[in-house]
Amino acid sequence: MDAILRSGKDGNIGSPGRQGKFRYKGKLVDWAAYAFIGPYMLLFITMKVAPILFGIYVSFTDWSISRAPRWVGLENYLRAFTDPWVAQVWLNTMTITLLVVPGTVVVSLLLALYVNRKWRFSNLVRTFVFAPKAVAITVTAMIWVWILEKESGILNMLLAGLGLPKIAWLTSITWVIPSISMVTIWWGVGYNMIILLAGLQDIPQALIDSAHLDGANDRQVFFRITLPMLRPILGLIITLETIAALRIFGQVQLMTAGGPGGRSATIVSYIYSTGFQRFDLGYAAVLSLLLFLTTLVFSWIRFKFYGDQDN
Amino acid sequence: MKKRRQTIEQRKGKNPAGLSILWWLLGLVIGLIWIFPFYWMVITSLKPEAYILSSTSLFPEKITFEHYVTVFTKAPLFRWIFNSVFVSVVVTLLRLGLSSMAGYALARMHFIGKKLLYLVLLASLMIPDEISIVPLFIWVLKLKLNDSYWSLIVPQLAGAFGVFFYRQFFLSFPGDLEDSARIDGCNSFQTFRKVVFPLATSATTACAIILFSFVWNDYMWPMLVAFKTEWMTLPVGAAIFNPVGFQQTGSRYGYGTAMAVITVAALPTLGFFLAMQRYFIQGITREGLKG
Repeated sequence: MDAILRSGKDGNIGSPGRQGKFRYKGKLVDWAAYAFIGPYMLLFITMKVAPILFGIYVSFTDWSISRAPRWVGLENYLRAFTDPWVAQVWLNTMTITLLVVPGTVVVSLLLALYVNRKWRFSNLVRTFVFAPKAVAITVTAMIWVWILEKESGILNMLLAGLGLPKIAWLTSITWVIPSISMVTIWWGVGYNMIILLAGLQDIPQALIDSAHLDGANDRQVFFRITLPMLRPILGLIITLETIAALRIFGQVQLMTAGGPGGRSATIVSYIYSTGFQRFDLGYAAVLSLLLFLTTLVFSWIRFKFYGDQDN
Repeated sequence: MKKRRQTIEQRKGKNPAGLSILWWLLGLVIGLIWIFPFYWMVITSLKPEAYILSSTSLFPEKITFEHYVTVFTKAPLFRWIFNSVFVSVVVTLLRLGLSSMAGYALARMHFIGKKLLYLVLLASLMIPDEISIVPLFIWVLKLKLNDSYWSLIVPQLAGAFGVFFYRQFFLSFPGDLEDSARIDGCNSFQTFRKVVFPLATSATTACAIILFSFVWNDYMWPMLVAFKTEWMTLPVGAAIFNPVGFQQTGSRYGYGTAMAVITVAALPTLGFFLAMQRYFIQGITREGLKG
């Protein structure tokens, strides 16, 4: 009994007796923890860590499905440097990211502010905006393929009705990336709106009231109180949205299959067509590492400029 | 004091009539932008093919169920629904078990290597899943596990999201309960199974809903490992009816059929979301704010 209480005082919450003899950093080691974490770690190592290591190995080979793989050294890496498609898909991905991330942040913030005000239909609007996130990307992409259809899609019909020219949303070089970005924003804002809404509701009302009392107008309150208070959440959203945007694939594959002429192909589209349509798996492994490096650079930039207050 | 009351009343929406009308219009526009595409999907699926390309009528002139008949006869739709349900349920349940235990250990137990483990798992959240797709695909081919539930389920179990979700929850869990369970003679496992886990219902519900929707809506991996149509999940199979078509060859089906198949694919999750909305939103809030 005494031992139990003492172990509790040490901050050790494992079971006492035969387990609680070994100390690490001043606290008794709880050996049972390894049994708790073991099953998950087994899967983590076999399905996450091992594939990454094996993927690095594959990137040095000419792995394909038809013949035995050969070690080719840095050939795949050198190829990536001179492949004009790599530059193209990287640029496409960057453009989409630069449209989607700020777009999502601004739109979801505006929506959160809208929904935050008590109003009869606030909850209904919130539900509507979130709805796309509850369906698969296939559903979202196919709905928009039909709405954005060039000849009979409802959006162009509307434009024609207003006397404006029809736009080739998904088949012109100019419009394809804006269209895909727009659909991605439409799909994803609901989720971020909910997170921001929770953040807005955490801001103490007294703070806002006293600012008003001191003569601050709504705009000042927004820029001096609301926005700084939301800063950690905005940082989180920017991080998550950036990682998601760099990985964009489903909507591109389903809406344009990378077209026209590869102008909407993203890094993951290129991994897909290289690895799983042409079965050039060694090269696809290099492209996956390129995606990883890009993500890493973005995380580093965000960390550098934003600090780690949200972690 | 008077001034203060005024400002508060202003904030509570005692606006001039003009602003209130503007607020209504804005709400209407927002609502339409997000709900109209779904409405249009359902309406198109009910129109005869001949009407679809020529009419923009917001109501079907003539209702037909031919597209639904096509979809259910041309595709193993029930099999896709079963695959999706089975894979999502199994993955969700297994991940809840694995993640709650791992999250509990990370939050409440003291062991060697904890800090390192925490950092490794955290880093894994930042690594795009696509990095392991090529090697996992090679393994699936080697083991001939394509077109099986193994390949659809096992690689989905390793995500660290749930572990962090539970860790966050257990960090703020009252320690007295564990102490009293231990004094009553429970070992760590009994404490977890009889005391801790039953009290984590709110976290479990939220986590389950989020994980389920992740898996249900997953597209890339199930598409890669299902070679035969009967092994596809609903989102993967529905794409067969995509009018754009893979490699832009164009599918044999029209927009009516396409909208019918995605209506079938969307309804279960939309219904599920509407029913579980409160938990869904609670879950996101918890994960979003603290995760």
